[in-house]
Amino acid sequence: MRLIVREDPTEVGSYIANYICRRINDFEPTPEKPFVLGLPTGSSPIPTYKALIQLVKDGKLSFKNVVTFNMDEYVGLPRDHSESYHTFMFREFFSHIDISPSNVNILNGNTIDLIGECKAYEEKIKSYGGIELFLGGIGEDGHIAFNEPGSSLVSRTRIKTLAYDTILANARFFNNDISAVPRMALTVGVGTVLDSREVVVVVTGQRKALALSKAIEEGVNHLWTLSALQQHPWALIVVDEDATAELHVKTVKYFKSIERVQEEVEETHRKLKRTNSRVQQVGSME
Amino acid sequence: MSAPNSLVCFTNCLLPQEDGSLIEKDLWFDERRGVIVDAQKTFFVRKQRPDTVIDLQGNILSPGLIDIQINGAYGFDFSVFDGDEEAYKKGMELIAEKIVETGVTSLVPTIITQEKSLYPKILHLLRPFSTPTSASLLGWHAEGPFIDMAKRGAHAPSFLVSAPDGVKSFESLYGEENLADDEDWLMNGNTDVGVRIITAAPEVTGVMDAINVLSKKGVLFSIGHSIATSEIATNAVKHGARLITHLFNAMPQLHHRDPSIIGLLGASPHLASPFTPITVKPLFASGESGPPSPRSPISRSNSKFAVSKASTGVGSEAFDDFDTPPQTPVLAAMRSGKLGKSASISQISLGQSEAPAEFTRPFYEMIVDGVHSHPNSVRLAYSAYPEGCILITDAMKILDPNLSDGIHEWRDGKRFVKEGDKLYLEGTNTLAGSVVTLDKCVRNFSRFTGCPLGEAIKCATFNPAKCLGIENKKGTLRPGAHADFVVLDRQGHVLSTWVKGKKVWMKKD
Repeated sequence: MRLIVREDPTEVGSYIANYICRRINDFEPTPEKPFVLGLPTGSSPIPTYKALIQLVKDGKLSFKNVVTFNMDEYVGLPRDHSESYHTFMFREFFSHIDISPSNVNILNGNTIDLIGECKAYEEKIKSYGGIELFLGGIGEDGHIAFNEPGSSLVSRTRIKTLAYDTILANARFFNNDISAVPRMALTVGVGTVLDSREVVVVVTGQRKALALSKAIEEGVNHLWTLSALQQHPWALIVVDEDATAELHVKTVKYFKSIERVQEEVEETHRKLKRTNSRVQQVGSME
Repeated sequence: MSAPNSLVCFTNCLLPQEDGSLIEKDLWFDERRGVIVDAQKTFFVRKQRPDTVIDLQGNILSPGLIDIQINGAYGFDFSVFDGDEEAYKKGMELIAEKIVETGVTSLVPTIITQEKSLYPKILHLLRPFSTPTSASLLGWHAEGPFIDMAKRGAHAPSFLVSAPDGVKSFESLYGEENLADDEDWLMNGNTDVGVRIITAAPEVTGVMDAINVLSKKGVLFSIGHSIATSEIATNAVKHGARLITHLFNAMPQLHHRDPSIIGLLGASPHLASPFTPITVKPLFASGESGPPSPRSPISRSNSKFAVSKASTGVGSEAFDDFDTPPQTPVLAAMRSGKLGKSASISQISLGQSEAPAEFTRPFYEMIVDGVHSHPNSVRLAYSAYPEGCILITDAMKILDPNLSDGIHEWRDGKRFVKEGDKLYLEGTNTLAGSVVTLDKCVRNFSRFTGCPLGEAIKCATFNPAKCLGIENKKGTLRPGAHADFVVLDRQGHVLSTWVKGKKVWMKKD
């Protein structure tokens, strides 16, 4: 696992956007071999989306051959509700980039057969050969997607009951009316995220600091589902200074040293790849 | 990829919202169907995104402006019909085609009081009309002849009438067919949007009784050219009147004890029964005798008058021919015995027992040319009731933004001098009516009131549409609405105008 520390959320967003841009461009996606990207909602990824949009507007990145899978969606919330994740993704990202609507996948929380919907989602991910890079965020309780504390760490896409914490946190989007907050969601499982070839997680703000320390400084624990990332061979967490508040100084220093080594290796590797197309991706240099 | 779809995306633009704010957002519309689409739905359900993207470079993308009172322009007068239908239709087309340069994409042609036999014909000709590249004429606005002699403005006195038979009088004058129920009236048109407005004085015999029936037919009743007391004006609104014609003009001045029509802007939603001032009696009993009827008309050719009234002028039909002493409405009403029946302050209802229907204040038109109403008056009205404000030009047929300043031929051998937005009869300082364009009104309004441009735009788009009940189709950027737009720079100057999804006018560099 790598941990990248940046000054503030904007710089975190810009770092991840440039990272994803490089990954997509290195991948050289085509209609036959699209880049498959997993995407989150929430406030943490917004600076990343903004930076990605700018890259598209500057002509440095295209989503023409990118297929996306979103992490989750509420159950029973109309698709055009202002708080649905369809609305969020369209407003914050899809409307501003050149992605084809047919390449966008978001779970349908308004279907009758919710279980069938989840199974079909897993199948569809498989049909693309799995997810190349899954971008994620976490909740204050360390949940990734809607995998609340206590979720199985090998879970797949399924129906999930929201934790009281999450309902309280989301109430602000529903006029502070707790009864209006959906109680259920469809979400990819921890296992679904871990199956992707690379996972990038954005963690910003002091309020996420405890979750971050639980996820990377303690053992794998289903009460902090992000900690499952410790079992992933190629994971990257990008945080701002505030989010490091609960980490040991030693931890932060260690990860900062990894960053330099990784950059050097990646640079060498990129040169190598230019002369030999069979060279594999770098992966994590941990 | 196959041929590009007909969807277009406006990007990098500010969109006026229905709350008067401006927000940076994209807008998608279908060029072929000429409607605004729900972008998110198009993306997720139709699985489409626009193949055409237009960068508006940070300018404002507003719904096309709506002028609900315009008498004519470019030399054509909606009120003049000499029997030649083709010529009249050509005139309608001329204005519809040309007015887009002022950012207007919908207008309601207005007929000032005419000889009564002309109405059935003219109103019949004024069905909703548009060409593929023109603004939409939405129907008609009949200003008169059921108006008050005392506030007739430039309307010909001999043509004024009352309505002794209530709505029957309206039907026989305007033509029964023209006052058919909305559905039947619209049936023959090629559009789903059409409006009819009648400006009348509710105190004129029989008018009050007709308001309800007319409103039910889908005809918008507007109070104007009237000396209605507060009580009568309030009653008119309760009967269904939804609009005040050119506020401040052709109505009594604001008197604090009987604020009359203007006072409606301050009416409380809890207005259970009309407030009758108890101070009226002593005032009246003191023996003062105000003029119960209007003074004799002052001839417009009276040069002395022209000079003394230079600041308000007389040429426009909206202007008063008569001075109205502030106390007139109260006194007139007292004399006719209309007041005093309930000469006590009605009790404010506190209990829920007889919760009266909430009183909704009417919309009100304002001519914001800096002439017809002082900027302070404009701001005063807007502060009182921003949601009801509608900007109009009330323009005369000489309206033409390309007309240069100087001396121009008018009619009957008379000539006029144009100085910016002011028109004088040659050799006098008598104003000859409004020639302001609606886009200029929007800019003026923002300046006069200090409100942000987005709010001024709302007064020329969403507010008039809402008043007319067409806010799903016009004056809005809602999905499903007509793709009629005006692109304004951040100072409110028109850069381009779009009708039914097509660009029909563009500012030359």
